[in-house]
Amino acid sequence: MRALIVDDSRAMRRIVGRILTERGFETAEAADGQEAIAVLESMDDLPAVACIDWNMPVMDGLELVTAIRARPEWRDITLMMVTTESEQDRIVRALAAGAHEYLIKPFTPDALVEKLDLLGLVPTPGGVA
Amino acid sequence: MTITTGPDTDLVQAALEQVWESMLYAVAEPVPSTAGALANGLEATITVSGAWNGELRLFCDAGAASQMAATMLGAPADEEMPELDVHDAVGEILNVVGGSVKGALEGESRLGLPQVRPATSLPDPADCVAVSWRGAPVYVQIVSLPA
Amino acid sequence: MSIGADAFGFVRDHVRAESAIVLETGKEYLVESRLLPLARQTGHDSVDTFVAELRRTRNPALMRQVVEALTTNETSFFRDSDPFVALRQDVLPTLAKERPGRSLRVWAAACSSGQEPYSIAMTTRDTPEVAGWKIDIVATDLSEEVLAKARKGEYSQLEVNRGLPVTTLVKHFQRSGINWRINPDLAAMVQFRQLNLMRPFGPVGRFDVVFLRNVLIYFDLATKRDILRRVRQVMAPDGYLFLGAAEMTMGVDDAWERVPAGRSSVYRIREDQRSCVR
Repeated sequence: MRALIVDDSRAMRRIVGRILTERGFETAEAADGQEAIAVLESMDDLPAVACIDWNMPVMDGLELVTAIRARPEWRDITLMMVTTESEQDRIVRALAAGAHEYLIKPFTPDALVEKLDLLGLVPTPGGVA
Repeated sequence: MTITTGPDTDLVQAALEQVWESMLYAVAEPVPSTAGALANGLEATITVSGAWNGELRLFCDAGAASQMAATMLGAPADEEMPELDVHDAVGEILNVVGGSVKGALEGESRLGLPQVRPATSLPDPADCVAVSWRGAPVYVQIVSLPA
Repeated sequence: MSIGADAFGFVRDHVRAESAIVLETGKEYLVESRLLPLARQTGHDSVDTFVAELRRTRNPALMRQVVEALTTNETSFFRDSDPFVALRQDVLPTLAKERPGRSLRVWAAACSSGQEPYSIAMTTRDTPEVAGWKIDIVATDLSEEVLAKARKGEYSQLEVNRGLPVTTLVKHFQRSGINWRINPDLAAMVQFRQLNLMRPFGPVGRFDVVFLRNVLIYFDLATKRDILRRVRQVMAPDGYLFLGAAEMTMGVDDAWERVPAGRSSVYRIREDQRSCVR
């Protein structure tokens, strides 16, 4: 099962990437929304989930969610915001734009895995998608 | 007219405690009184604009910053971290602190992107929230700015 | 710096022997994140070197702390999720047909800092069969300290990230400074009080549903048996008991039978034992 991590912080990409890899995901990364779109366009095998930061240069996470939702061929990708934006109205806005889940930074590793479990995103051991 | 007051030190302290616990696997203890001045300091800045306008500024020693980065990234504590990774990690720490603080303020505010550079001057520690990273001080200063 | 397979295996076997809780492969992140603070406190840079020392010294205090770090303070909302699915899909709809008075009483025993009773309250709100019913949740714990936190109903960002679907968060909580606070309508459903499961329960009334999860594991067999017997006495004869995933009544108190509910199971008083509890 694949996951795309979109965050302008290298550190955060590595933290999220490490948790996802240990959980059995194959991960790809992008540093902003535009790069994420390019990565998705280059992929033969689309990710099951994209973990998306909100505040990023070039194209932010909310714009990315909107852009992904506008592409029917990407409709099966589960979108989870992973961001420090934590006001209730921001969360509601991200959900309205098409995000499925929302994890507020800071978070413990357990919290990220639990959110993925809630979404039914559990890689099968042995790597069969 | 509503006047939005800026974040207070309790709020910043609470945000730091959560970051220490979840990203650095540590307890944000008070700074020991024996902590010296920063010799080779880093400064991270993040702006908040909207209902409250201002900045949060984080200051810490470059050695402590490198250790924090190593911990966040799961590298051995004594591993020499590339400057790029250290700056990025410290910026992300302040970004998360800034987001928690901003989310607790009245009214709508926006968070900028963190900037990290060598510190040119240091604030008076008495004006800062200070927590310890393995005995080394990490200071966060709240600065209100004109809109 | 991920935990090595050797270290993980050692911790898994030890925790399993001491608590019957099984840490499956894939839970390495959990072991590492829970044990890293302990490793740091004892002067280690990594969980691997900490575990290596533990294997060598078998320091009993540290061995016990490892079990505690991995088993207690597990207080996420909708913990284990399956029981709450069973509650919404099976237990509450069935009880709804049996209670013309349109009221239910639930006991959350060992409720810790309140996530479980509030999760029960949220679940009842999401169950159309009991919409508009009077639901009273009694939540008890041994510790006044955790009860004070539970009564406040305020949780940190780190806590609300645990197990709560975000739609549930924005529906049932409000920001309160840096924290989130449970909405007053849900808080009003829950009454918190101090109670020691090892002593007589006192006048607690009769419950339709009891949550007694992940607490029996800490007691010896005789105490388990005594607690389960006294729980029967405060339960409606057709009530439902929820235990932790690693717990069972079999061989402890055979007046109970295990019945499937959703993807998990619940316990009911056996038909032939129900007259005794009246």
